[in-house]
Amino acid sequence: MTEVRCDIAFTLNGAPVALNIGGHENIVDVLKRLGLSGARESCGQGLCGCCTVIIDGVAESGCLTLAQLVDGRSVQTIEGLDADGALSPVQQAFIDAGALQCGFCAPGFVLMSHQLLAANPDPSEAEIRDYLSGNLCRCATYPEIIKAVRLAASRMRAAQAA
Amino acid sequence: MNEIRSISAKQVGRDVPRLESRQKVTGRAEYTHNITLPGMLYAKLCRSTVAHGRILSIDVSAARDLPGVHAVYTGETIRTLIAEPYFGPAFHDQPILAIGKVHFVGEPIAVVLAADPYVAAEAAQMIVAEYEELPAVFDEVEAMTSAAIVHETLKPAGTFADLKHLSGKSNTNVALDYQLRRGDTDAAFAAAEHVFEHEFHTQQVMHTPLEPMVSIAEPGDNCLTIYTASQSPSFVCTEIARLFGWRENQVRVKVPYLGGGFGAKLYIKLEALVAAAAMLARRPVKLSLTMEEQFYTITKHASTFRIKSAVNKDGRITARRCEIFWNGGAFADIGPRVTQKSGFTSPGPYDIDNVSVDSYALYTNRPPAGALRGFGIPQLVWAYESHTDLLARGIGMDAVEFRRRNLLREGRPQATGTLMHDAAIIEVLDKTAELMNWTAPFERGEGVIRRGRAIAIGFKAVVAPTTSGAIVNLSADGSAALYMSTVDMGQGSDTAMAQIVAETLGLVAERVKVVHPDTDVTPYDMATLGSRSTFHMGNAVKLASLHALEQLGAMAREVGLPEGTNYEIRDIFLKKYGMQAGNIIGVGSYVPPYTSPQKGTGLSDNVTPFWMVGAAGVELSVDTETGHVTIDRLINVADVGRPLNPAIVATQLSGAAMMQLGFTLFENMDLDHGQVTNASLADYKIPGMHDLPTVMDNVIVDNNQQNGPYGAKGVGETATFGVSPAIANAIEDAVGVRLTSLPLTPESVLRGIRALRGEKLEG
Amino acid sequence: MRGFEFLRPGTLNEASALLATGDAAARPFAGGTGLMLMMKTGVFSPSRLVCLRQTEAEHRAITPTGDGGARIGALASLSQIEHDPLLCRLAPVIARTMTTLANVRVRNVARIGGTLAHGDPHMDMPPTLAALRASVVTSGTASRTVPVEALYAGYYETILQPGELISAVLLPDQTGWHSVYLKCTTRSADDWPALGVAVSVRMDGTTITDSRVIISAATEKLTRVAAAEAVLNGATAGLAAFTAAGEAARAVETIEDARGSAAYKTELVGVYVRRALQQATGAGGN
Repeated sequence: MTEVRCDIAFTLNGAPVALNIGGHENIVDVLKRLGLSGARESCGQGLCGCCTVIIDGVAESGCLTLAQLVDGRSVQTIEGLDADGALSPVQQAFIDAGALQCGFCAPGFVLMSHQLLAANPDPSEAEIRDYLSGNLCRCATYPEIIKAVRLAASRMRAAQAA
Repeated sequence: MNEIRSISAKQVGRDVPRLESRQKVTGRAEYTHNITLPGMLYAKLCRSTVAHGRILSIDVSAARDLPGVHAVYTGETIRTLIAEPYFGPAFHDQPILAIGKVHFVGEPIAVVLAADPYVAAEAAQMIVAEYEELPAVFDEVEAMTSAAIVHETLKPAGTFADLKHLSGKSNTNVALDYQLRRGDTDAAFAAAEHVFEHEFHTQQVMHTPLEPMVSIAEPGDNCLTIYTASQSPSFVCTEIARLFGWRENQVRVKVPYLGGGFGAKLYIKLEALVAAAAMLARRPVKLSLTMEEQFYTITKHASTFRIKSAVNKDGRITARRCEIFWNGGAFADIGPRVTQKSGFTSPGPYDIDNVSVDSYALYTNRPPAGALRGFGIPQLVWAYESHTDLLARGIGMDAVEFRRRNLLREGRPQATGTLMHDAAIIEVLDKTAELMNWTAPFERGEGVIRRGRAIAIGFKAVVAPTTSGAIVNLSADGSAALYMSTVDMGQGSDTAMAQIVAETLGLVAERVKVVHPDTDVTPYDMATLGSRSTFHMGNAVKLASLHALEQLGAMAREVGLPEGTNYEIRDIFLKKYGMQAGNIIGVGSYVPPYTSPQKGTGLSDNVTPFWMVGAAGVELSVDTETGHVTIDRLINVADVGRPLNPAIVATQLSGAAMMQLGFTLFENMDLDHGQVTNASLADYKIPGMHDLPTVMDNVIVDNNQQNGPYGAKGVGETATFGVSPAIANAIEDAVGVRLTSLPLTPESVLRGIRALRGEKLEG
Repeated sequence: MRGFEFLRPGTLNEASALLATGDAAARPFAGGTGLMLMMKTGVFSPSRLVCLRQTEAEHRAITPTGDGGARIGALASLSQIEHDPLLCRLAPVIARTMTTLANVRVRNVARIGGTLAHGDPHMDMPPTLAALRASVVTSGTASRTVPVEALYAGYYETILQPGELISAVLLPDQTGWHSVYLKCTTRSADDWPALGVAVSVRMDGTTITDSRVIISAATEKLTRVAAAEAVLNGATAGLAAFTAAGEAARAVETIEDARGSAAYKTELVGVYVRRALQQATGAGGN
């Protein structure tokens, strides 16, 4: 097959980037070329959440997102969360609750938890399960992840109130 | 020895957060998955489409002509580099690429290299192979007598000490037949009050680590560096050196964090192929499997277990006969060890005078099977604990009381004759029963929803004999680095081992650096498998730390510091060298005592250095109209010795139980004439958040493993043991349906319910 | 994966023209979640993808219709539909169904038009919308309005012609109707359904005056079960009528797959139709 190539330019974690890509490449391929490996392809079917990226504020499965579709848009990855050197409350809560084992799924869970708490600052356990049910952890750290989200939520609400 | 501890806080037994937590939550932890080398080529495989066949031709011309393709290799190309390109831990039965014939659907027959992985994938699709199909065998029991022979001749590897006895045979699918004989089973059965016999089955399932298997080889001048997601860097080094006819020091194997292993990444998997391809191409080569391809690479043994017991009128088991058939698939991988090591525990944790075990490792034309979190033990416990409940039911005795009467006690001989020590079997059972409030009345539900509960308990002997080595480097500023080849694949070994170093040297665990496996740098370790690291590597790390401490003490004496000094480490160095300089290297190596089992009887007075004990208690609800089972409560109770890091241990227990829950209720590789028809996470379902039991408790019983480091022993597999039979037993308790094959699907439950009413499902 | 054209027309009519070329490997691309899956697994290798996202401004709005219903632009994402206040009020069953539909990321990207046009019988939205008596409006040379249940010709097959695109979904007034969608999975909780059942019932007091019973996933294509509706219409809401409707629904032809045998799915159909009706009406116990 003759490859169709194209130029794209987008904002990556707040900084502009421009590059030439294959029309078939997905955003994880492109991020990897840019040296970011926090979004990672695992199941390749949008089911496990390891490739989660935030595009214009909305979570997507990077493995199912053609890179050319982010042209002109804003992409945020896990690497953008601690840009100022400090962990986000969700990241800190994941550490404190022991909510990771092999860690391969952790960036996806962290990003999705951020999205959840932005939309719903005080989620019930059922709401956490529903929202995160599209992320898989083969180490099955699920109870600790639920605990981490609740911990992050309470700390963020406390910080808000203060 | 001098007292030089500067820290009094206990480092062992403390909930130290994983050392690499920050790297993992920021997406910056290093995995082989992330590694890209300059000039690297991507490899993609073309795989067999038939289950068993002679290769007539492989046409790679179209693939080779595709622009962007660097090279295409077949088994014949590999042979120009390596005369005998077969590998494996037990048998040298696995070709780097198929030669002459293929043994299962999915076996690699050719590899394409290209700088662009999409080009390589497209080219791999363009390879055309022709086969003369041969009769195939898929079932493990049929494989015993089948005319279809997967390998014409068996070639034992002779690498591991415990597998030295394997013999080369022809015209058989039996890779290993293991036997254990103790007492006189025939006489005991003849004299028995009650005799019960059952057959149980398990299905083929897959590890599905979320970081799919991946390896990279970087060629040098008569040497190779391999970056690989492997649980056994030392073995990879040995095996690659053997294939190339090199010294081990010509091969360097480096392993960063693993995105899950569970046994999938053990021994040697993709490493031989990338090594050969890199040497042929003179470029670095990376092979990353897709999730789909993992299903063609390594799986968990399907099995058939025939179990027969004699029970006397007091409810004592007087004899047990076990016959187990392990479906090893096309390559033995570590199946012979599964067959043998789990084989000798197949009578269960029971005190039985007359025991006979026959355990068979079988080749079939399915994707290969190896180790998966338990080394065969979950398959066995599934059978013997289902059987145990049926025995109790058969003689009308309470299931817990029946177990209590028969369980092995401290100092009693296990089936091999080895005396039980430090195995808290009774304690684990009693704790489980207590947590379930076993003697109190139980709400059984009414109407459509019926409730049941049950217990199951299993045990495992750690693999023996195996060796671990460790180096502790104490720097002049008092900081320490640990060099070891244990692979942290999520189980927290970096953290636990740092705690041992810190405890022994009086440091803070969080400040101990752990140097990851690198065979040029870190000492030999048998592998990260079978819950052996905490004990074996833990002992080696403790010895290395003590060795360093001893040298530090000597240095203190040398510079004239008194016994019992509270000088800090840095002060001792300063006093010796006059500046911040020098270091102390502590080395430790550990191999436990072991007695090889006698051939034929399988008897040994020291078959393992320690036992793991795990039980599950289950309360569940069954929807009698649909067969759906809801796990209301899952209790996991374990003897882990003294936990080095209780929080991480609890997470390990719950993770292992959840994984086994998937294998119990729904995970299943669907096969059609050897073709896996659901090789993706869309069609092969693993547990997600909604599959968590309503309540799950993870409980550690108080025990001390006397020969373990600070009383600890392995934990990674323990909580898998009891889950499957406890659920099946609870289903019977709820609705009277006895299921004997995994997975326990809603349909099988409903069919059972209808069968009890004398009805069938077919309309 | 390589070597397809990716075109971005500004209107649905232009898109239709780019697709009506007789090339079976040309496809419209909206959210792309379904297509990307097929492309990545090699099930489908497109020659041309015609992206519809540039038409979003015109075709993603969700607006009330004059007659108490709603019009959903085909490019509306599933998340947008899930959280739309108008739809939450008009047909709360939609938002309830969404919580277990695929996952948040898929719902953020997948569009309702593509969801309906994909033809996969395991999806949750087609039966839900069919039970709500929704229809689709198509664009192209012969624009037409088709009830959702009439959209499907077979397994992954619709009646849409090459170049014919869904431009909107029309949802009628739901006053007096009670709707439920039940999804039955038989492996992990988040598996594709072994069975989807969507029911809508219109009540006058305790009498059922009209109904819809839709079966999906267990059947080759989404199926409206007229026999079950016939049992319900005119009957008194209650266990007897719901059980009879479930029995009638068992006549649909179920298919065997890894999630269960045909016979088992037939059992599920009977139970789930009855339970869906019980939940929708609050009658006949739970």
